Amino acid sequence: MATEEGSKAELEADFSINDEEMKRWMGRAFEMAKDALENGEVPVGCLMVHRDEVVGKGRNEVNETKNATRHAEMVALDQVLDWCRHSNLDVRSVCERTVLYVTVEPCVMCAAALRLMNIPLVVYGCRNERFGGCGSVLDISSANLHDTGTTFRCVAGHRAQEAVEMLKTFYKQENPNAPRPKTRKD
Amino acid sequence: MEPQMKRWKGSECDADSWVAYPILSDEQSEDVELVEAFAAPIVNKKETSRLIRELNSLYPLNGLQHVKRVRACRNKDSPHPLEVLLCLISDAPNTKEVSILSLLPSDGDKWEGLGEPFVVKIPARPPLTRPQFELASQRWPTSFHEDKQVTVALKGELFSPQQKATMHMFMTSAVAAARAAEQLGMEAVGAVVVDPEREQVVAVGHDCRGDHPLHHAVMVCIDLVAQSQGGGCHRSDRYAACRFTPTDPTELHPEGGALPYICTGYDLYVTREPCVMCAMALVHSRIGRVFYGAASADGALGTNFKIHAQKDLNHRFEVYRGVLSEQCEDLNMQDVLREHVEGRTE
Repeated sequence: MATEEGSKAELEADFSINDEEMKRWMGRAFEMAKDALENGEVPVGCLMVHRDEVVGKGRNEVNETKNATRHAEMVALDQVLDWCRHSNLDVRSVCERTVLYVTVEPCVMCAAALRLMNIPLVVYGCRNERFGGCGSVLDISSANLHDTGTTFRCVAGHRAQEAVEMLKTFYKQENPNAPRPKTRKD
Repeated sequence: MEPQMKRWKGSECDADSWVAYPILSDEQSEDVELVEAFAAPIVNKKETSRLIRELNSLYPLNGLQHVKRVRACRNKDSPHPLEVLLCLISDAPNTKEVSILSLLPSDGDKWEGLGEPFVVKIPARPPLTRPQFELASQRWPTSFHEDKQVTVALKGELFSPQQKATMHMFMTSAVAAARAAEQLGMEAVGAVVVDPEREQVVAVGHDCRGDHPLHHAVMVCIDLVAQSQGGGCHRSDRYAACRFTPTDPTELHPEGGALPYICTGYDLYVTREPCVMCAMALVHSRIGRVFYGAASADGALGTNFKIHAQKDLNHRFEVYRGVLSEQCEDLNMQDVLREHVEGRTE
């Protein structure tokens, strides 16, 4: 028991994120989001940080891959797995000490994926009113799901307005890959 | 019947061993919510239409348009044949003794045609399905705009024997994929994506969690569909049982001409109810319909959530449970047993 509590305390200490750290990592997540916007993707960017080292980063690449599940978080989680493989480290123990910095609240799918990977903490910019899985549409981050990994904590609001503006810019443009709406024949 | 049965492809007789039931939204499947109201017998039948008019203007049943104001008396021997709703208890004046005079303002002999009030429970919301309608009607006469497809589906009779034989064939492929995953030491879950218009398999996939904890069968299939459209990013080509049919533009409908877009219009057959991640991935992929064999503990298409019927989401789809239920439950059971054994050895 004592060791378990010890490691818990260590976890807490690791995750007392100071403002400066948050600014730095979120700044890089925003760069990823801008890259998405410039490439015709939904502008969401993220970073996975393990012991002050970036072990994964991603931005939306749904249109590029024709796979609607290629959200920034999913792309970054793939990189975390690759990083663990190359570093010969246990995935679970790395993930349990990895923080996700993301410009927009993770969607329901990504929230479940983050749980399955045992990511303990998510720092995000704005809420995701359409798909949010950390309270906006459903609260998957804290839901009682026995077989879906571990719950995670969220810190929200850093540069939220800016993140919203980027989404608005994107949704004002037309999605060139969406099917044409059916027009009525007269 | 018998000779015609034989012409259908697949093992049509096996398709009699299961029934596919729809997974409806909470609003469609929950019990009938009731509210309490005061009703009174109509002693003088000739006064009925006048009393209804007076009551409608004094106590309109706002938000309860589905409830009829008058019902025939249940007790056939009763001296008065009709009963009328006076008002909801929540709308009634707060008095200790309940009587016509305490509920309705004294106004000459306006209320003379009414007997002593009593309490009834009436349905608070319009019924959405026939079972809800039948329960609601036991309480008080209720109007019902029936969705015939839902009624037939709830009886398990939506699909014709031919359709069931086709569904049986597709789920059989999913079960085979699940067995292949099991052979590889991964979870016994398989999935098949189908273009229902052409009755053609677009992708077959299975659980690949041995490679990647998030490569559940549905996620694998979604990427295989992307690969069939020239995209994709997983590396599942090393598994023989994971495959896709490349899109052939010449084969597409000559008039429509539209290229397939993610999973729009496709059906998914999966042996086990998808988890939250996979269910939401199907929303993002705009799947047409989902058929699953057996429920799962953390399932998000009926068991824990109904993500396919979630109001705030931009895409909804139909879900049916029970296709090849026995075989699919067997697969789940084997996974549970294996985990149990592994748990012990740890």
